[in-house]
Amino acid sequence: MGDLQEKPMTETQLRNLRRQRTKEMRLQLTGFSFMIFLTFMAFCMVALEFDPTFIMGIVILFAFIQVALQFYYFMHMKDKGHDFAKLFMVLGLYFAIAFCVTFIYIVWIGEPI
Amino acid sequence: MSEATAKKRGIGSTIWEYMTTVDHKKIAILYLIAGGFFFALGGIEAMLIRLQLAVPNNDFLSAGLFNEVITMHGTTMIFLAAMPLLFAFMNATVPLQIGARDVAFPFLNSLGVWLFIFGGIFLNLSWFLGGAPDAGWTSYASLSIASPGHGIDFYALGLQVSGAGTLISGINFVTTIITMRAPGMTYMRMPLMTWTSLVAGVLIVFAFPPLTAGLFLLIFDRMFGSSFFLVEAGGNTIIWEHLFWIFGHPEVYILILPAFGIFSEIFATFARKRLFGYSAMVFATVLIGFFGFMVWAHHMFTVGLGPTANAIFALATMAIAVPTGIKIFNWIFTIWGGSIEFTTPMMYALAFIPSFVMGGVTGVMQAVAPADYQYHDSYFIVAHFHYVIVGGVVFALLAGLHYYWPLMFATMLSEKLGKVEFWLFFVGFHMTFLIQHFLGLWGMPRRVFTYLDGQGYNAANLISTIGALLMAAAVITLVINIIITVAKNQRVGRDPWGDGRTLEWSLPLPVPYYNFAQLPLVRGLDAFWIEKKEGNGEMLPAESLDDFHMPNNSIIPFVMSLGLFIASFGALYFASGKEWAIDAVADLPVRPWAFWVLVIGLAITFISMITRSFKDDLGYYVTKEEVLRDLEEQERGAK
Amino acid sequence: MAEMKYNVPNEQWPEHPETATLEGKNKFVGFWTFLGGETVLFASLFATYMALKDSVPSSDHMLAADLFHLELAFVMTMLLLTSSLTSVYAVYHMRNNNFSKMQLWLAITVLLGAGFLALEIYEFYEYVHLGHTFRSSAFGSAFYILIGTHGFHVIIGLIWITGLIIRNATRGLSVYTAAKVNTAALYWHFIDVVWVFIFTIVYLLGVI
Repeated sequence: MGDLQEKPMTETQLRNLRRQRTKEMRLQLTGFSFMIFLTFMAFCMVALEFDPTFIMGIVILFAFIQVALQFYYFMHMKDKGHDFAKLFMVLGLYFAIAFCVTFIYIVWIGEPI
Repeated sequence: MSEATAKKRGIGSTIWEYMTTVDHKKIAILYLIAGGFFFALGGIEAMLIRLQLAVPNNDFLSAGLFNEVITMHGTTMIFLAAMPLLFAFMNATVPLQIGARDVAFPFLNSLGVWLFIFGGIFLNLSWFLGGAPDAGWTSYASLSIASPGHGIDFYALGLQVSGAGTLISGINFVTTIITMRAPGMTYMRMPLMTWTSLVAGVLIVFAFPPLTAGLFLLIFDRMFGSSFFLVEAGGNTIIWEHLFWIFGHPEVYILILPAFGIFSEIFATFARKRLFGYSAMVFATVLIGFFGFMVWAHHMFTVGLGPTANAIFALATMAIAVPTGIKIFNWIFTIWGGSIEFTTPMMYALAFIPSFVMGGVTGVMQAVAPADYQYHDSYFIVAHFHYVIVGGVVFALLAGLHYYWPLMFATMLSEKLGKVEFWLFFVGFHMTFLIQHFLGLWGMPRRVFTYLDGQGYNAANLISTIGALLMAAAVITLVINIIITVAKNQRVGRDPWGDGRTLEWSLPLPVPYYNFAQLPLVRGLDAFWIEKKEGNGEMLPAESLDDFHMPNNSIIPFVMSLGLFIASFGALYFASGKEWAIDAVADLPVRPWAFWVLVIGLAITFISMITRSFKDDLGYYVTKEEVLRDLEEQERGAK
Repeated sequence: MAEMKYNVPNEQWPEHPETATLEGKNKFVGFWTFLGGETVLFASLFATYMALKDSVPSSDHMLAADLFHLELAFVMTMLLLTSSLTSVYAVYHMRNNNFSKMQLWLAITVLLGAGFLALEIYEFYEYVHLGHTFRSSAFGSAFYILIGTHGFHVIIGLIWITGLIIRNATRGLSVYTAAKVNTAALYWHFIDVVWVFIFTIVYLLGVI
């Protein structure tokens, strides 16, 4: 199991790769600032007491965007070889939403639907 | 560590070898022994139930003891017998079927089996330590919070520990099948047993965490003073029902899918035909797995969720019948026109089709929500789920035991005794459960410990009990068969059934500890069959003979599981007699040591995890010379 | 006996050191599978919280809107978000085979995480003084089990990353240790993902 399964790279390849990675780090930073911005906006909207139904939708939307950024950039899901990771996360989120919806609507809180 | 030196070992070192093993074939044997033991326990409990119900107004078991027995029968059979036995076959076959030398996480594989064993022992210790759980295997919160004594605590903690083991094994199988396939083994060339194990593994990954969450809520309510299910403190018991069935429904698919896998292998082998509609079978497996998550509330139709919710879940439930039907037809078409050999596994497989279809049809009947109000909580339900679980899963386990026995132990179970066992079991099974449909429709409720004379239930219950005794006779025949086979120890060689199609049968028996001297090259579905037809008789190698890497044995999984086992006792007695405790345990004597037992147990587990993490466990290399020596030895043996 | 090939000279350092060996690949796939399971675990707890939110035995118990402070939640969020970024830096340096920088960024991640944890403990302490405890109501139980399970994950993550820093200090970077670092980083990001939903659903939607 300890055997390397990738071939070593040439000097040029390595240099290119380094450059690419630096560029990617810049992208990560952009993503991070965007996440901070979204968080800030979400907190501001709640603190300024906008219309609750409006806030609810927007805040949850922001959360999903932020999580997508985390997955795609921070957790490198945009890279190759992440098909199963995507499958598991999409399935997990789908089930998660299903659970939350049932627990809000059909646990004998309020009228049965 | 070749086979010759292994034989010279004493008892002590054999036990040590099994306690520390990370070899999937030995772990399969551990699962088989432990699962078989719990199967026997659950079976004895089943016999007690049937003896109690054989005649009206019986006082063989008291009402309270009856509740404990039915709870433990269900819990043991599902969690400690059926699932581990399926894991035994998955461990024994899946790495061999995909052409791997071991699973992806051999250490975790060992951890999984020990967690299961310790969890199972913990659960069953309840019989000796103040009474077993008595709220049914579903342990609905309104009942389980009120149940006095520590019975339910044993249930919650025991299942938590063994459930962790199952989750770990599930992750292990998913990863193994994704990353460890031999060259040429594409997804659409994987045998159905591997496919169903993959889907069952994914289901485990998504179904067990809700159970873990639900059990934690129950544990905290009963042992640490929280109030999730205490209605007077704002709690809600429906939450438990949802969490339990979110787990519980996929659980039955976790059980039935590998069973489908075993039958698919058996049908193709003994009909000597390629499995009909392979890609449709794969598609149906995946679809069943997905739908399995969307139907849990059909167990709760009578809770009062409302007509919209009931309608949605009823429709989803009926939809599952479609992929299952696809499978049934594909099996029938596989047999159609095949040259069938009536071996014991094949007899079980053939009997499975009508039996399982009967269980499936009553399932669709219950999917009709208004009709379910009539069937609910009656013997009709008992008959239905025994038809799918015994007629599906247990048939598969018995068939798989006969079919894979040579692969696991390099001997053959007697076919003659096997057929006696089959007929006893088949007749006994239908005799026990067919009549229970009618008992249910005549109005007999489930979970009652006795019934009055003159209600028209007498004859049917007696028939049912006689059937159960026949099933017991079948299992005893099986045990005798195993004892005779082990005593005779007549070794068989490669491909003992003569018609093996998949990779596992291409290996010499007993399978070397490294499985494949050279990783095989897979050239299509039913890889070994292809090579046989082309006259090669064995798999072509995909790599040159060289040193290869194998994992080290380790005692740490055992110690880790032991730690959780000890900690469970601490948690169990923690709330005894405390003022904040629920009424069920508030009157019991205070156990001041409970907290320290909990801490010590968790510390043992934690320290073993740290030890594992700080050591570099790099494994070892098997040398080319050793493999060559083994190959020569096999050749001499063959001549 | 063939020699172990985990220690790779710098010029052979692979593009993806964390998945360069079969072991590394297994860890990678296995861990994502595990995260799938974690998603539904937290989903169950979120769902429980939503069902039991503000469900208290009597009117003298505090409800979500009376309890939560946005300021504290905001600071905690910033700490955890930033620690997620710093662990990205650690993985970046790991891929460039720069051991000392990787250790540095991991250490920063641990510090930020510890700051988050300290604030969370302070927050719990405050709530307990206001009579909002694990045992006071179903709302309290559901709140503490959701936030507490997340906090427990933070503790595990801190122990894990600290352990890696210590154990690797003498071993340096190899394809064996790279896989470990990558797995821990994934875990840490996932903790952050869960927190995003917690601050949205529990805190933000709790006070409106």
